[in-house]
Amino acid sequence: MYGWTGKILRIDLSRRNCSVEDLPFGLARQYIGGRGLGDRILFDEVDPRTDPLSPENKLIFATGPMTGTGVPAGGRFIVVGKSPLTGAIANPCCGGYLGANLKFAGYDVIIVEGKSPEPVYISIVNDTVEIRPAAHLWGKGATETEHAIRAEMGPEADGWEKNILSVATIGPAGENLVRFACIMADGGRAAGRSGLGAVMGSKNLKAVTAHGTGEIRIPDPEAFKQAFQDFLREARENKELEKRSMWGTWSLPGRANKSKTQAALNFQDGYFEPFTKFEDPAYIRNALRVRDEGCFACPFRCGKRSRISDPEYPWTAKGPEHESMALLGSNCGIGDLEDIFRANFLCNELGMDTITTGATVSCAMELFENGILSEKDIGYPLNFGNAEMMFRALRQTALRQGFGDLLAEGGAAVAEKFGHPELFMGVKKQGMPAWHPQGIEVIGLQYATSNVGACHTKATLPFYEGRKDPAHHVELTKQDQDYVAIVDSGVLCWIIYHGPLWNEKPLQWLRLTTGIDYSAEELALIGERIWNLERLFNFKAGLTGKDDTLPRRITEEPRVKNQVVHLLQMLPEYYQLRGWDGAGVPTQEKLRDLGLEKEGAGLS
Amino acid sequence: MRIRIDHALCCGCKLCEIACALKHTEAVNPQRSRIRVFIGEEFCLPVIAGPYTEAACNAKEVVTIDGKEMDGCVVCRASCPEKTVYKEPDTAIPLKCDACGDPPDPECVKWCAPEALTVVED
Repeated sequence: MYGWTGKILRIDLSRRNCSVEDLPFGLARQYIGGRGLGDRILFDEVDPRTDPLSPENKLIFATGPMTGTGVPAGGRFIVVGKSPLTGAIANPCCGGYLGANLKFAGYDVIIVEGKSPEPVYISIVNDTVEIRPAAHLWGKGATETEHAIRAEMGPEADGWEKNILSVATIGPAGENLVRFACIMADGGRAAGRSGLGAVMGSKNLKAVTAHGTGEIRIPDPEAFKQAFQDFLREARENKELEKRSMWGTWSLPGRANKSKTQAALNFQDGYFEPFTKFEDPAYIRNALRVRDEGCFACPFRCGKRSRISDPEYPWTAKGPEHESMALLGSNCGIGDLEDIFRANFLCNELGMDTITTGATVSCAMELFENGILSEKDIGYPLNFGNAEMMFRALRQTALRQGFGDLLAEGGAAVAEKFGHPELFMGVKKQGMPAWHPQGIEVIGLQYATSNVGACHTKATLPFYEGRKDPAHHVELTKQDQDYVAIVDSGVLCWIIYHGPLWNEKPLQWLRLTTGIDYSAEELALIGERIWNLERLFNFKAGLTGKDDTLPRRITEEPRVKNQVVHLLQMLPEYYQLRGWDGAGVPTQEKLRDLGLEKEGAGLS
Repeated sequence: MRIRIDHALCCGCKLCEIACALKHTEAVNPQRSRIRVFIGEEFCLPVIAGPYTEAACNAKEVVTIDGKEMDGCVVCRASCPEKTVYKEPDTAIPLKCDACGDPPDPECVKWCAPEALTVVED
C-alpha cells in the first residue's frame, strides 16, 4: 500500500489491551480514510442506539492516505464517535501534528474502546503503546496537560523528542462530561464540534500522545515533488497563499458584519456595531498576533498565535478564529477584542467547543434579558455584553458548578427547561456557526441538513459565486456536501480546498499518494456514500427528517435584510435530489446505487 | 552558498523536513531529514544538520533567542551521540546537510512558502 500505512491500532481501555490489525484494502479504497473510514468503522462497530457516554461508544482517531505525506494543507485527522450533544454521528476535523505523528508511528486509525477504571492517557511511540496513569493530570487545562506530559518524558528524552511529541487532550469540561466538550491538540488546535471531549472523559481518557519515526511510502516521489511545486506556484499566483497567511480567518468578522451576515445577539441580528472596527482586519492582527502557525505540511499558515498583556492569561492562544469571534463575541454582545480573546482562551483551556459554548451562553443571555431567567436562577446577571459574567459562566460550565451544570447540558436543554426551546439557535442541539443564514440563505439548508448538526465545516458554500441564486441552492448544497466528505477523508483542510477553487485537487493528491487510479466519478460516488452512511447511522440512532430543521427565528422572523430562510420549500427538492423519500429516508434504489443496501435494511 | 534562516518567518509547517526526506530517501520520513523544525510558542526554529561530533560536548548551555531561553542542544547543529535527530532511524548513521549536491540546490528552500529559508551567496 502507498499513502496508507495499512494498520489499525485498537486500544481497549477496559481490558487494558492493545492490538494491531490490518486495514483491509477494499475498505480503504471505498472509504479513503479520515471521516469516511472512521464513519464506516463506527457504523460497523457501534450500535447507533448506544448511550454516547457509555463504554460501548468508541472514539476513532482516523488519518487519511494524504495525512503526513506533505500534501499541502493535508496534515489533518478526524475523530469519529457518537455525539453526546446531538445523539448523531460526530466527526470533527483537527489540525496540528497529531495526524502526521500517528502515520509516522505506523497507523492509519486508532480505535479507543471501553472505559478505564481510573484516569489514564495513551502514549504511542511507534510500536510501543502504553496506557499510563493520568490522575495527576485530571483537572488540568489543555496547555498545562501538554506541558506536564512533555515534562514527564524525563531527562532520557532530549529537547527534540519532547518537542516532536503530539498531544491531544481534554480539559476539565471533557472530564466533567460537558456535552459540547472538545478535544484540544498541539497547543490550540481543536476537534471542536459535537462534544467528543466528553466521550474521552467518559472513558477516563485524559489524553492521547503520539510520536512516530517511521515512513510513509508514496508511489512516485518525483511526480509528487513536481505536483507540490506546481501547486505552490498556483497558490502564489492566485494570491491564496498571500491572503490566507496574512489574515487567516481574521478577514471575515468585519466582512460578514458589513454584509449583515454576522451572528449577533443570539441571531437576533446580522450586524453588531462594535464589529465595524474589524472591517480592517489589520486591527485584529496588530492587536493580537504573535506568529503565524501552519499545521503539519500547510504552506498557507492561516493559524495565528495570539496574546494579550494580562497576567491572568499568561500564554499564547491560537485564534480566535472567525467562528469563535462571532459566537463568543457579537452573538453574546461582546465587542471588545481582548474580551473575545479571553473567552476563546478559556474555552481552549477548559476544552469546550467555542461555537456551541457561545450559542449556549447567548441563549441564556436572551432568556435573562427577556426576564425568563432571573438573577436568582443564574446567581449573577448574565446580560448581553457582560464579559465578566460570561467568563464566570464558562468556568462554571466546565466544572458543572451552580448554573453551569445546566449550561453544560447545552443550549437546547437550557431553552427547553425554561419553556422556550425556540430561543436556542442550533440544529440537532448543536449551535449554529458565525454566518447568519438569513444573510446567505443556502447556508440555512446546509445547517439544517448537516449530519452532525449545525456546522460550518461540512460544506464550503460561502465561497461559491452562485450562493445567492435560489435556483442553485439545492444542487450546490448536495454537490458540496459530498465533495467535502472527500476532503475530510483525505484528510485535507476544507478551508483551503473549498469547492469552487480547487475541487479537482483532491483527486490529483489521492492518485499521487495512493497510486490508485481513482476517477472523478468514483470520488463523487464515495462522497455520496459517506453522506448517506452517516444519514443511516443517524436514523438508526433515532433521528428523523424532522431533525432537518432550523430555529423558528431563522425561518419565520425576518431579522436580517428582511429575509427568512425558505427551508420548507428547499427541503423536498433536496430530498429528491439526494434520492431520499418524502420523510428524508434514503430509498432502496439510492442505497443500491451506493452499495449500502445491507446497511439500510430496516429503514426504508 | 549558505541557507539563511529567518526564524521569525517560520510557521512550523515542517514541509522542509518532508522536502529533505524525499530528496535523500524517496520516502516521506522527517526522522531522516537533515533539517528539523523546533516548534515554539512565539517562534519556530529550523535547525540544519551540521558536522557530526564524536562525543557529546560538555557545554550544555542555555541560548537566548528573542528573549527566550532555549536548550542549547536544540539550537546546536551538530549531530552527536546524545541527540535523537539527524540520525538514520535504523542504523543511527549520522546525517549532515549537503545542500542537495554540487552545485548546491537545496530542496528545503524550494518548499518553504513563508521564505524562512533562502539561499544566499557568500
